[in-house]
Amino acid sequence: MNALIFSAVSGVIMMFSSFLLNNKNSVRVLAHVLLLATIIANIFELRGISFFHIDTRGMLEFDRFALLFTLVANVCTFAFFLLSSRDLEKIGNHYSDYFSLLFFILAGIVVSSSFKSLLMLFLGIEILSIPLYILTGSDKRNLKSNEASLKYFLMGSFSTGLMLMGIALIYGATGTFQTGITVAEKVPVLLITGMMLLLFSMSFKVSAAPFHFWTPDVYDGAPTVVTSFMATVVKAAGFIAFMRLFAEEFGSIRPEWKLLVGIVAAVTLFIGNITAVFQQSVKRMLAYSSISQAGFMMLAIYSLSNDAKEGLILYAAAYSLATIGIFAVLVRMKDYTFEGFNGFAKQQPFLAGILVVFLLSLAGIPLTAGFLSKFYMLKATIDGGSLALAIFAVLMAAVSVYYYFRLIQSMYFKTGNATISGTTTGFKYTLAALAGITILLGIFPNLLTNWLYF
Amino acid sequence: MGPISLIALTLAALLFSAGGILVGKLFNKGSKNLQKGEAYECGIPTKTSPWHQFNVGYYLFALLFLIFDVELVFLYPWAVVVKKVGVTALVEIMVFIFILFMGFLYAHKKGALKWM
Repeated sequence: MNALIFSAVSGVIMMFSSFLLNNKNSVRVLAHVLLLATIIANIFELRGISFFHIDTRGMLEFDRFALLFTLVANVCTFAFFLLSSRDLEKIGNHYSDYFSLLFFILAGIVVSSSFKSLLMLFLGIEILSIPLYILTGSDKRNLKSNEASLKYFLMGSFSTGLMLMGIALIYGATGTFQTGITVAEKVPVLLITGMMLLLFSMSFKVSAAPFHFWTPDVYDGAPTVVTSFMATVVKAAGFIAFMRLFAEEFGSIRPEWKLLVGIVAAVTLFIGNITAVFQQSVKRMLAYSSISQAGFMMLAIYSLSNDAKEGLILYAAAYSLATIGIFAVLVRMKDYTFEGFNGFAKQQPFLAGILVVFLLSLAGIPLTAGFLSKFYMLKATIDGGSLALAIFAVLMAAVSVYYYFRLIQSMYFKTGNATISGTTTGFKYTLAALAGITILLGIFPNLLTNWLYF
Repeated sequence: MGPISLIALTLAALLFSAGGILVGKLFNKGSKNLQKGEAYECGIPTKTSPWHQFNVGYYLFALLFLIFDVELVFLYPWAVVVKKVGVTALVEIMVFIFILFMGFLYAHKKGALKWM
């Protein structure tokens, strides 16, 4: 509740900061301070101190899983602010509004990760999506940005429609919006139909195949800074909502959907990885890489164990931090293709080294957080009863090494003049801190996952 | 009933819409005149094609109108129960109106109410 109120109020404050403060720097500092306050308030709630006692009538439940994910999302957003807030201001004139939209997205993330009622799930997903439609099109003079925004909006509304239909059918079958249904021996068909519709719409939101077609175009068309936020924090939030929905609402009818979710996970892994191999632009490669990482996160929903819960939180943190770091460098590059990175290590040895850590983490090499999060997922999958799926996932992770290492190859072993602008010392140290966290979580994952229990 | 009811409902929906179109085709006398193509068959005749770009200001006004519209929609059910719920209801509606007011204030400050 703390984080929800804080981020919503921060959003409103940021809205008004555009006429109260007439200085870009003070707006940016204000955004950082507000987000920091939100993080601290959320830590207080994790420690059991809630500032607000509002009766939500059982529609929201702030359990440790939701609170911890909110913390991860807020901290990743803070890293995003530190690295990319200056680039955010370059999109257009309404810089304070971009910050306020980001705060509203954070409020939506809290709602959609702590829902106890299907109505709140719907509301949370909408609060999270609508600011994103606007941010995608925030580069108003760019036709590609406009196209991406419209495409995202149309497809998103369509999947929201599916979700509402699913919720309506489930209400028809069970007579309640509250999650945690118990079913008799024979599962009603209405419930199965509703479950399928929810599965499809949630797969759409997290861009799992075969509902991923909007992803590359939207990620490519949106301003790169916004893509960085969309592909990380928002996608992870979608998975937390997905996990919560399937664990609490459909946990009792698991045999009905287990195979289907397994197939979606396998197809996502396959399509994401194979298509990423053929990309020439690093930005598009990262879009497909986000699809393939989504496939790995789908494995958590497939197995639904305690390991899967820990793993999903760790995965969200590892993937978000690494991708935010890579995007922060990519935004400042002149050329977004692989060739644009040629000779990068010669000019910026420090930045290149940090990028390597992030890429290794995404590829899942030991000593990085990416390895342990993939390990958790595979362990949960094998415990969940499918060795074949785990083997397939490992094979696909091996494919992913190709396109991540291709970037390392261009940076270190090819000559060229990569051009990057605006690398201040603060930027470099923030990136180094992120790389440090990535390695730290790869050695001591308990630092994060222990928060789930005490 | 199970799945049969769903299938029956789908079929009924298809038959209903297809039947409507079919009956319309069968009894259509095919009278065509200029007025039929108009957007409205009553009122002032249109002078030019309505398919041109409107000033974005109109849309802003429509959106601002929605603020008050939504406010009213929620105020009616509130008014029915306000006596029963008491002070809590009053406080909550004040919070609600305050939030809407903030939205309106934002739009006003951004210059959405300035005409051209």
